[in-house]
Amino acid sequence: MAQQQPLPSSAQPTDVYGGDEVSALVLDPGYFSTRAGFAGEDVPKQVIPSFYGHVEGRDIFGDEVLIPRANFEVRNYMNRDSVVEDWDVAAKVWEHLLVKRLQPERPTPPSKNGLNDDGDGSGNSNNADGDGDVAMEESVEDMEKPLAENPVLVTEAPWNTAKSREKAVEVVMENWACPAFWMSRTPVLAAFAAGKATALVVDVGGANTSVTAVHDGMMLKRSVQKSHVGGLWLSGQIRSMFETNEPKVNVVPSFMVENKKPVEAGAPADYRPKKFDFEIAPSFRAFEEERVLTEFKESVVEVWRGQGKLAAPQNEEYARSQPGRVFEMPDGSNQMWREQRFKVSEGMWDETAAYPAPAGLDIPQVSKGQTIPALIKACLDGVDVDLRPNLLGNVVVTGSTSLLNGFNDRLNNELMMLYPGVRVKIHAAGLSTERRFGAWIGGSILASLGTFHQMWISRKEYEEHGPNIVEKRCK
Amino acid sequence: MSAQLGKWKEEQILVICPGSQTTMAQLGCGELTPPALRIPTRMFQDEETGEWRANHVEKRRRVTVNGDATKSDDEWEYIEDPDSTEGATYPIQAGRITNMEAFLAFLEHVHSLLTTTYHNTPIMLMASPQWTRPDVEAIARYVFERTRTPALCLIHSGIATQYGLKWPHMTVVDVGFQKVDVTCIYDSRVVNHMDVGASDALAVAEGEDISGGEVFTRKLLGLLEDKGFTYEMAEQLKKSSICEVLPYVPESPRLMELPEEAPVVPEANAGAGAGGAPDAQPREGGQAVAAGDDDEDAVDADKIVTEDGVLDVAKLVVEGQTKEFLAKKEKEKAEKAKAGRKGKDKEVEAAKPVRLPNSKRAKNVFHFEEVIQEEVPPQPAQPAAPAEPAKDAEKKEGGEITEGEKPAESGATNGDAPKEQSNGDEKPNPEPSTEPSEAPKPTTAPTQPALPTFRNKRVRKDIEIGLERFLFADRAEIDRISTAIYRAVQGIEDMYMRPSCWENLVFVGNGARIRGLKDNIIQTLAARHLISPSTATIFTSELPSNLATPTGTGSQTPTGSYVGGPPHQLGPSSSSGVNPLLQAATTASLGVPGGVVGGQPGTPGPTSNAGDVQGQTHHFHSQTPTNIKLAALPTYLSEWTKNGFEEAMFLGAQVAARLAFCVHNLDAQGVESQRLMSLSRVDYNELGPKGIRTHSMLG
Repeated sequence: MAQQQPLPSSAQPTDVYGGDEVSALVLDPGYFSTRAGFAGEDVPKQVIPSFYGHVEGRDIFGDEVLIPRANFEVRNYMNRDSVVEDWDVAAKVWEHLLVKRLQPERPTPPSKNGLNDDGDGSGNSNNADGDGDVAMEESVEDMEKPLAENPVLVTEAPWNTAKSREKAVEVVMENWACPAFWMSRTPVLAAFAAGKATALVVDVGGANTSVTAVHDGMMLKRSVQKSHVGGLWLSGQIRSMFETNEPKVNVVPSFMVENKKPVEAGAPADYRPKKFDFEIAPSFRAFEEERVLTEFKESVVEVWRGQGKLAAPQNEEYARSQPGRVFEMPDGSNQMWREQRFKVSEGMWDETAAYPAPAGLDIPQVSKGQTIPALIKACLDGVDVDLRPNLLGNVVVTGSTSLLNGFNDRLNNELMMLYPGVRVKIHAAGLSTERRFGAWIGGSILASLGTFHQMWISRKEYEEHGPNIVEKRCK
Repeated sequence: MSAQLGKWKEEQILVICPGSQTTMAQLGCGELTPPALRIPTRMFQDEETGEWRANHVEKRRRVTVNGDATKSDDEWEYIEDPDSTEGATYPIQAGRITNMEAFLAFLEHVHSLLTTTYHNTPIMLMASPQWTRPDVEAIARYVFERTRTPALCLIHSGIATQYGLKWPHMTVVDVGFQKVDVTCIYDSRVVNHMDVGASDALAVAEGEDISGGEVFTRKLLGLLEDKGFTYEMAEQLKKSSICEVLPYVPESPRLMELPEEAPVVPEANAGAGAGGAPDAQPREGGQAVAAGDDDEDAVDADKIVTEDGVLDVAKLVVEGQTKEFLAKKEKEKAEKAKAGRKGKDKEVEAAKPVRLPNSKRAKNVFHFEEVIQEEVPPQPAQPAAPAEPAKDAEKKEGGEITEGEKPAESGATNGDAPKEQSNGDEKPNPEPSTEPSEAPKPTTAPTQPALPTFRNKRVRKDIEIGLERFLFADRAEIDRISTAIYRAVQGIEDMYMRPSCWENLVFVGNGARIRGLKDNIIQTLAARHLISPSTATIFTSELPSNLATPTGTGSQTPTGSYVGGPPHQLGPSSSSGVNPLLQAATTASLGVPGGVVGGQPGTPGPTSNAGDVQGQTHHFHSQTPTNIKLAALPTYLSEWTKNGFEEAMFLGAQVAARLAFCVHNLDAQGVESQRLMSLSRVDYNELGPKGIRTHSMLG
């Protein structure tokens, strides 16, 4: 089935087909964040962490609500394979994004809208200027069909199981009365976002890295390679590096710091800790620590981009002579990072150079076949020889961990070494949003194309064939 | 049909900035004045017809002269009561439109207040960031299909603020009634946004916290409730000049330096010391910091007795023996200091705390004003009377209940302040708690047919307020706001945008009028997050800005593109539909990297050695923030300086309205970008409601 035709790369997405308006929604769940927005727009309107707060039996969503609270736990509804783990919560998260955030608010019954019990006594204090009573109408029909006019396109990891796909379709179709849906694989969409129908997609994401060959808008199943060498793994490497550093670096997330005083480099931190009269759950702390590590990745970590591996003696020497970068932790302690900042990411390319996996965290060690060059090699070995030059000429880099400084240079070098004589062309979007939301943007383009209009799986088809139809149609 | 545009006159344009509590509106944008009209954002639904009205309508039994009970329906009369909020629907809650029907009716009402014509009145409507796309389309549909409005321009409130203050990059913190919006703008484009507050009305019911100015009122009410304060009193107190957020003091246990009960004493000591008084003790730095914690009574009780000059305010306040205690202290001191007569004199002088600023005084007097409706015994010729004061009261009440209404009032209170202070000291008020309890409750309109004639009377009461007026500054709320700011700016994907956003913070929204709140937030952010230039950083880190990318246009430095005269934004923003005016002329020269959607060939920085690889347009990887600053506010608009720039979005909406509707003689590209700023009827006919997605300034 050639349902996904090659795209003209510069086609301006149009959301009109045959005069009908399509306001499709695109949902792109990932391990670290879940993206959602209207098709045809260039960035997702809503990006929230896939981590959510669990407090007193309630689940709360969004970055804003993840603040220290009593009895507060941070959980994630996705697993580290970027596949939905907890379907009950997934439905809630998606509803939060698609219905609550992107659709107009529906009037809530006055008994529940919180305006009549605001706790300050204004309700009964005969105080005419406080929050008055709010008479609102209950509109039950509206509540039942919040997305009756919006087809939904959901992205999925290339290795998503049939069961999980069907479940996703069920959630979409049963909960909000969507008229139609589609599921698409992230590498295909990332390739679309780069304006390519044929590409070798290197997706270095939050929880894992995948290398996939896409040919004419179709994912080549046998080519799919993945490893856990992604953002989370890199955080583990940074932790190990902190651990072995002299003095040991202690990650104090910023929520624990009330204020700090400047200290000399390498000196112990001088800060006033914030006090909480409740216990901070380890999961919340870990989540907050990840923010610090993200900042560290953004401003310090760099990929060695010279010739050969970093481990080569002259390279290591050279890296040492490079100007270092200072990183100040939220608690004010700061330190200069020199060659370590190259070394910490070297494991992505050279498994022998990796730090040992940090203790106590469930992050595995990188093994021989899991480095990015190895993944690419395995991927290309899985496709027809004739396709390889075309794929290497269209390498699409996406995923937020690929934003590491020097990543593309290194990837280029590695590919040149692996495939001498083949023209290698790397396409990596310059804007970080395009790199971070590659799959979403591809979905946005796809769902807004006039030619895609006939591809949607309609409610009628769904009702006729059941959720299984996704296996038949969305190849 | 772009020729159609630009032909409106400035005085024809209707500018509306709706808020959850107050809506600012004005006809005409020629003078760039503060809003002519502030209207409470609420509507009332008629129970029978379902129609929306602007005022509460009460159905009363008409009382005939002879007092007969009435029988037929004709005997009911309908009385419009502009003060009543009974049964009010607030169509916007925490920025979200919760009742579109009411909101549209409200728009209609605002329109009718200002003008009667439609066909030549283009509308500039400010949209909250929370408005969803279907919301916006519903508004466009209504405006074009139900009214004869020729053009509609929707503007994102953050962008509107930016047009008012005209820095190309800024972080707009909008402290509203029940929400706080943080919008990061780079090159006139919204690059990140966070909102604090309950996610929706249901969440409020489930116990999620609101944010914004309302939090402080509730906190204040919570502190003073047992003194008989009502919500309205707390609200008025919050807005008064004596209520303020004290500066952030990093070392203090409460993170603020509460005034001591008698700051006179140490000050006098200092004076006496200079005058040669033998026993005058130098003021110890840590004392002030230690004072003022309610929980430390036991410890501080000692202090009061033993240490001279060290007073525990809380203790004294609690026990209410302030005056006696002070008198005793003074006497002691006088005796001890008899050697230095000169010093004593000085002390006496200094003992007049008249000159002390509010923040140094443990107590201050709050003048509570309220309008009481007094029932007046029936008088023969009365019919016109109720209408007149009612109108008066509407204005006034509006000011009291709504966030938005302050400027005039606060000006007045500020003017009064010195007088108040001296008043307060001349007649000390030992038991502040009794007075408010006597406060007559505002009488609601009685429903019984008892010849309802009312007189509105303004009652003024003096209430002495202790440290509550500082303690209401809820740390949790301030932390929440500053965390949101931090996350919003640090969450901007492109790192090179972050420094500019850190250096141009601006606080708007009438919740930000609380004295000292902005400064406290800035101080909190600085104390918590500022990256100090450590010794190592100075020598080795990258240059603290993206100087590596050659720009040479000054577009990176905010001052570079800041020119006096009519505000304008120069920003290439080809990705969003919002192309600020004059973009065409400036894009060519502004080589702003990354401001343009990818595809632009990368400019490899000095360290990049792979020129064939696209991407990596920037080599900015420094940690931020290294500098946190408030954006400078324009000074040439004296009316706005007086009004305060908390309502800068209204100014910006006017400026944007001019650009969208009134500028003539543009070049071809200018015309095109002007066309994309607003949706005209012609475009609407062609594109339908979804035209508003591209033909608007929604960022």
